[in-house]
Amino acid sequence: MIPQIEIDKNKCPTPYECKKCLQICPQAVFAVAPTKVERFKETAPEDYEVQAVFKDKCVLCMDCVKVCPTGAIKIKVRSN
Amino acid sequence: MCELCEKYGDNGSRWYLNPQNYARPLYKKVEKGKEKEPMILTELQGPFYYKPLIELKDDPEAFEKMREGYSKFHETMGGQVVCLEDAKKMVEIAQPIARMDCICRRITRATLEDGKQRPRTCLGVGVGMFRWEEWPERYKGGVEFLSTEEAKKHIEHWHKRGMVITIMTFGTPYIGGICLCDYPDCLAIRMRLDYGIKPMLLKGHQVAKVNYEECTGCGTCVQRCQFGAIKMEVTTKKSNIDMTRCFGCGVCAYACPQDAISLIDREKLPALKEEW
Repeated sequence: MIPQIEIDKNKCPTPYECKKCLQICPQAVFAVAPTKVERFKETAPEDYEVQAVFKDKCVLCMDCVKVCPTGAIKIKVRSN
Repeated sequence: MCELCEKYGDNGSRWYLNPQNYARPLYKKVEKGKEKEPMILTELQGPFYYKPLIELKDDPEAFEKMREGYSKFHETMGGQVVCLEDAKKMVEIAQPIARMDCICRRITRATLEDGKQRPRTCLGVGVGMFRWEEWPERYKGGVEFLSTEEAKKHIEHWHKRGMVITIMTFGTPYIGGICLCDYPDCLAIRMRLDYGIKPMLLKGHQVAKVNYEECTGCGTCVQRCQFGAIKMEVTTKKSNIDMTRCFGCGVCAYACPQDAISLIDREKLPALKEEW
């Protein structure tokens, strides 16, 4: 069973600045990265994206859902 | 024999002590063809760490595919654990050396090591570092060039605090980084331990062994091991290192107050010499 963790990009415009979910997760499930990198330019905060990469490590403690200030994270568990 | 030494070593020497693997021509080779267009990270890193894991749902087939993808990826990027002694030798070969923000930690925990709020941990090596100002996103927070002696001190400082020393290639065998890593924020360690992707991080040339006569069972090494290889034997009050799990980083040996842990050559142990 691997939980489905979805992050609403519209509700999470600047994940690198906020970083609450990234830092609270006991299993370090999330990753944040710039969607583009250009020469001689720092990536704008809006061009970062956070995603649940290590989903199979999630223990469903829901800390990220609680800590997210905009409610952008949704976790679903598929029942088999 | 270590796969990388076989291919890139100099007459049986360790590959990372071969000065050719730090040489400028290799760097140029990596850059070729990438110069014209702006680098789009999600595409570039697709097979690296990002996309396949996202697509990995409850699908064992997708997982297998991902592992395959990563295994091929080591031609571009790969790593190996090195012990402190070897790292110091590497620093003597590599020039220039610059302290920089750890990219893995920025990805997994969104921290920024700018040298002010947080100390910088990783070292970038080689001619590429001279061009750091071209890529302000990658070298966020700036870099700080170090002398050979300063670099040795830097590595030892973090090693003492429990970090594993690893090397990273950018276009194997071009050595571009000496990293100071721990679990779970190091993506290379994580890929290897959690997903079994070997080429991301090969084991080092040593393995640690406990001298039971010297060990007092204080447990310092148990806390330090990033690979889960050390356990405390409760009844004998001795620490036990599973040498098949040991990566030979030497963090436990450095920390042991009794000097009861020694690093021995992996290739001298027939059962472990092909275990990388």
